[in-house]
Amino acid sequence: MAEVLTHAEPHDEHDHKPHGWRRWVYATNHKDIGTMYLVFAGIMFFIGGGAAMLIRLELFSPGLQFFDPQFFNSLTTMHALIMIFGAIMPAWTGLANWMIPMQLGAPDMALPRLNNLSFWILPFAFTLLIGTFFVPGGAPAGGWTMYPPLVLQTGAAFPMLIFAVHLMGASSILGAINVIVTIMNMRAPAITLLRMPLFVWTWLITAYLLIAVMPVLAGAVTMLLTDHFFGTTFFTAAGGGDPVMFQHIFWFFGHPEVYILILPAFGIVSEVIPTFSRKPLFGYEAMVYATASIAFLSFIVWAHHMFTVGMPLAAQLFFMLSTMLIAVPTGVKVFNWTATMWKGSLSFEPPMLFALAFLFLFTIGGFSGLMLAIVPADYQYQDTYFVVAHFHYVLVPGTIFGIMAGVYYWLPKWTGRMYDLKLATWHFWLSAIFVNVLFFPQHFLGLAGMPRRIPDYAVQFTDWNRVSSIGGFGFGLAQLLFPYIVWKCTRVGQSVGNRAWEGAHGLEWELPSPPPYHSWTEPPSDAVIARGAEH
Amino acid sequence: MAATGLAVSEQRRRVRRSALLWTLIAAAFYLGFIVLALSRGMK
Repeated sequence: MAEVLTHAEPHDEHDHKPHGWRRWVYATNHKDIGTMYLVFAGIMFFIGGGAAMLIRLELFSPGLQFFDPQFFNSLTTMHALIMIFGAIMPAWTGLANWMIPMQLGAPDMALPRLNNLSFWILPFAFTLLIGTFFVPGGAPAGGWTMYPPLVLQTGAAFPMLIFAVHLMGASSILGAINVIVTIMNMRAPAITLLRMPLFVWTWLITAYLLIAVMPVLAGAVTMLLTDHFFGTTFFTAAGGGDPVMFQHIFWFFGHPEVYILILPAFGIVSEVIPTFSRKPLFGYEAMVYATASIAFLSFIVWAHHMFTVGMPLAAQLFFMLSTMLIAVPTGVKVFNWTATMWKGSLSFEPPMLFALAFLFLFTIGGFSGLMLAIVPADYQYQDTYFVVAHFHYVLVPGTIFGIMAGVYYWLPKWTGRMYDLKLATWHFWLSAIFVNVLFFPQHFLGLAGMPRRIPDYAVQFTDWNRVSSIGGFGFGLAQLLFPYIVWKCTRVGQSVGNRAWEGAHGLEWELPSPPPYHSWTEPPSDAVIARGAEH
Repeated sequence: MAATGLAVSEQRRRVRRSALLWTLIAAAFYLGFIVLALSRGMK
């Protein structure tokens, strides 16, 4: 249950923070930059979500209703690019900025000016990307995977797409460098690596993944650029190139990217479940090693995205088995979260509800992933709506619910106020119900043979598409509650104490709520660390 | 004294060295992969 105070706590008013636009444009404070990342991610979430609503609107009925196929394909492509690179990744970086220094007892991120740069690259990248809707030929329509030769048919948007991808990659790498340097150098004394909160651990591993694979994406899109403009034929069969090579390179980036999107959610769930179970996390070290194992395995499974291109049987077997191997460390995690709740004193505030939904629904996405890993079965599922259902179960009730759990968990710390718990619970239940109405029928559509990325479909698919679209509209509308809840919290929420949740542990809960502009300017004392750094 | 318990100058030195190392690694990956791909493609 939340600890709510009936009077405002005295706060440190000697923050010396800059005012006006300079505070944000020249920001070097981790909390300000974290806030900017989160606001940016929220804006992108609603733009990407708007594209999703248009997709579901078109698919409400068979036949072409509102959009021509080219524009429809642009919507699916841009929805994915905006959600992955504009909403989810910046949301994680925002949470990292806010929480990593506070959880480690550090005064700020190690490289504050680099932090500013990595954020401010993003608005330019996404202005460029979203601007492609207004250039001749329209926005990219070849899918977020940018497979040649299709993507090479993109019009004036093509160089804008490539440059935007480079900018996003550069921003992510700079952010990752900052996270690694902070974690390795800025921890308070006595916060050893194996005493760090799980959110910090998962972010450290995510940062390594980012540095390892974003350059691969940069290389791949640069080769596309030279194929398009400079006469190379990396991926053009007529010139001796190989379009399948692009798929190998892309998915060498793309599969670790999936874990870049999900690992920080594992960290948040590992913070939230112990708090609302009033028990320490079960198997802390096993969780750390499981996360590292998942990250390692993510590098050797990429070709399961492309079983049907034709590859040697030995390769198919290798990628099938290595993919199935990921179920082992993932199973360790699910077991440990469940064991943490075992005989705990559970309560079901919004962060816990989102974490529990994550646990159930992400596991469903994991199971359908195992189905897709089976080569002969994948031949049936490839490029159907089953794949769409699978990865949306991983990314929406997985990643997005993880972000929601994190924001609802730490919002009282950030603002010093408790949000409207009843409204947030409504937000949860509407999201949890509609996300299943939206995505579960897509399994049936896929198994029945409905292809993905089409604006029209055979009439026998109508009923489940209508159910899915209704779920989509419901889910989209439910998300409008979220900015209202946050806004209302900052205005009229009741003040909370340092430890907004009675079961919360961690150095961040030793700081006032809201924390001072400059926190942990002095190292936390041994007593504070002992009290706060329990898992 | 920095929050890590080290002298401020020592902490700055460690941060600078660590940042330089990771920037070099990231830049080598980023530029290296592009240059390698393009140079092999030009053959």
